[in-house]
Amino acid sequence: MTAQYVIGIDLGTTNSVVSYRLLSDESAPCGILSIPQFVAPQTIESRRSLPSFMYLMTEAESARGVYVLPWQLDSDAKVSPACCVTGVAARQLTAEHPERTIVAAKSWLCHTRVDRHQPILPWKAPEGVPQVSPVTASQRYLEHLAAAWNSQFSDAPLSEQNVILTVPASFDASARELTREAALLAGLPESLVLLEEPQAATYAWLDAVGDRWRKQVHVGDRLLVVDVGGGTTDLTLVEVTDEHGELSLRRVAVGNHLLIGGDNMDLSLAWYVAQRFSEKGVQLDPWQSVSLWHTCRQAKESLLSPDGPETHTISVPGRSSRLIGGMVSVEINRHEAASLLCDGFLPDCSLTDKPRRQRASGFQELGLPYESDTAVTRHLAAFLQQNGADRPVTHVVFNGGVFKSDVLRQKLLDQLQVWYPDTPPKVVEGSMDLDFAVARGACFYGWTKAHGGVRIRGGTARSYYVGIETAGLAIPGAPRPLRALCVVPQGMEEGTEVDVPSEPIGLVVGEPARFRFFSSAVRRDDLAGTRLDRWSADELVETDSMEATLPLEDADTEEYVPVTFRPRITELGVFELWCVHEESGRQWKLEFSVREDADGARN
Amino acid sequence: MGRLALAWRILTNGEFAQSISEFVSSRSRLPVSAGGRESSAVPEGVSVSEPVAVRVPKAAAPKPVRSDALTLLATLQREGRLIDFLKEPIDGYSDAQIGAAVRDIHRDCGGVLERQFAIRPLRSEAEGTSIPFDGAPDPVQIKLLGKSPSGATFTGHLVHHGWQSTKCELPQWTGAAETSHILTPAEVELRS
Repeated sequence: MTAQYVIGIDLGTTNSVVSYRLLSDESAPCGILSIPQFVAPQTIESRRSLPSFMYLMTEAESARGVYVLPWQLDSDAKVSPACCVTGVAARQLTAEHPERTIVAAKSWLCHTRVDRHQPILPWKAPEGVPQVSPVTASQRYLEHLAAAWNSQFSDAPLSEQNVILTVPASFDASARELTREAALLAGLPESLVLLEEPQAATYAWLDAVGDRWRKQVHVGDRLLVVDVGGGTTDLTLVEVTDEHGELSLRRVAVGNHLLIGGDNMDLSLAWYVAQRFSEKGVQLDPWQSVSLWHTCRQAKESLLSPDGPETHTISVPGRSSRLIGGMVSVEINRHEAASLLCDGFLPDCSLTDKPRRQRASGFQELGLPYESDTAVTRHLAAFLQQNGADRPVTHVVFNGGVFKSDVLRQKLLDQLQVWYPDTPPKVVEGSMDLDFAVARGACFYGWTKAHGGVRIRGGTARSYYVGIETAGLAIPGAPRPLRALCVVPQGMEEGTEVDVPSEPIGLVVGEPARFRFFSSAVRRDDLAGTRLDRWSADELVETDSMEATLPLEDADTEEYVPVTFRPRITELGVFELWCVHEESGRQWKLEFSVREDADGARN
Repeated sequence: MGRLALAWRILTNGEFAQSISEFVSSRSRLPVSAGGRESSAVPEGVSVSEPVAVRVPKAAAPKPVRSDALTLLATLQREGRLIDFLKEPIDGYSDAQIGAAVRDIHRDCGGVLERQFAIRPLRSEAEGTSIPFDGAPDPVQIKLLGKSPSGATFTGHLVHHGWQSTKCELPQWTGAAETSHILTPAEVELRS
């Protein structure tokens, strides 16, 4: 059956959105899917996004059927076990039952120090609370979205549509593979395409302005996509180039995965206010803490605006049914709060500044490697330095909930103007509907893929390396020196493969061969076959190792098979690495391997 | 929960079975935005695309287990503490104390009304401006105040622009009939 719709799915760290468009109708805009979900026990509402939170029910809740979605009763539908609830209700329950709630599963997907297939979430859950793996959690969110779609478009099941799923630009090959795995388990089609989120945001701009984009930018312009979502910051540079006399767009650089986002800002403000309360002898309970968090999210704007009042009163209602009687208030000094946010997250800095490695941040205990420097501006400076800071940024594409705030947008623009005083960067025109831009952009991308239209080129965002132990005299107790062989250069295009020129590597037949595997977002000049003898920790980041087992065949008389590497990027953007035995032409695919040393995994 | 396990529970647990059967029968009331019109909920100048089409499950609507009014009340309490506020005697409090509480209630209950009803002025003219009439207006839409007009054409001053809901998107309640009167559960804290 042929697809009727193109569907863009933004599987966000804190919110997920589905956008769709009829393939046959040229004039139809991208719509946003209503997603029925629990907002409280026994109460379902349809919302335009699904908060990416998951609550694991108690046995009593499960037995009482407090959270049973309509499609979980369909006999033929693919259902998730009714032991968890996703969406608004789950987000609400994070405060009351943090030990039963999973947050930021997506950030765990790219956390290479744990086995993402092990049931480790909720992180450090007490005995008796069931746990699921980061892959399963992502699968559950996607199943919810798929079921919401299928219940409203029963004649056009999701598994038969053109689906684009967005991932952070900073996701490496293994995190992308895990995302794909979760998506296929959730019933998304094999033809699924993964698209980088900042590119999706850029497509949303192209969709909003239509052909006028060619008037808004010129050859040589550089667009900076700054995507600060709830939990992560993702940076990308897109260059305007000339290809055969036509303006075209090329993604030239992506940043590393930064675990800082708007939630950190709101939480730090809430934490600061909670301190003021505790000075008055008021200890807030979990419900009040959530209430305070919401209040702080909304107070942020007025606290930061340059002409607000000197003090700002923040009140939290009492917990019992006596609302006014239990009300507690504190006066917050606006300058103090504003400097807490600005100095902490968007401090003025120079283009040559680097992120500071300082004391472990308070978020460390959540298990994820949160950035020790929360200053988005310093991370941005470092990113620009690594990618030709002398060439000015001419345009900015804002994305992510944080930039719904005028004040924060302006703050970042001011900083860029200080860095590039001669060519102050402009914000691209277009929709500022930032919560939905990535899903809409993904949907528009799917549309242009089917109908022709402007495409952002760029190939792989990173280069990839296989670690090879050097031969030589073994020193007892010391590891053999490691070299890195570049197998995928940056910018390797979809639908291509290369034979990596290298000395053949001997693999033992019948035993798993395992290679350490690295990626780099900064070594842009390495070619397939480039060998590195040493590198700095900033340049190459180790990710999951890759392995293959060469089956023992009758014809094999040799113990070793000499192989070379052949990487392939499929048309769908899936990365594959093959070992090739030149003489016989046989080849074996390397797979990302499950780590055995996953710290914190519970058996 | 596996299908078998679910079937087993339904067979062995009368209450659960009832809530499931009621839930199954109320499935068709899945709250999908009517006509998908949400553009009105967005500030002017922000472009929002309309969904191409919105599908609603086709089964006929069964008799609701609970009045939507109760579900709305429960929502206003859950998100905005409205019932706590209205049920609390306020004689002993200062205006400042009440004011501090109202700020949150105003924000949170306002959010519920916006999301579920998207309430907008009925008349777009500014209050205080003159409105010309040619013949008597529809009394449902316009309430005439003061002395009766003498002729067929006359002019009036808009005192109140009226209100209208531009959508009605109520939550679907999935509970059982015997607990439908519960607006908010009691809360018990376990102290160790």
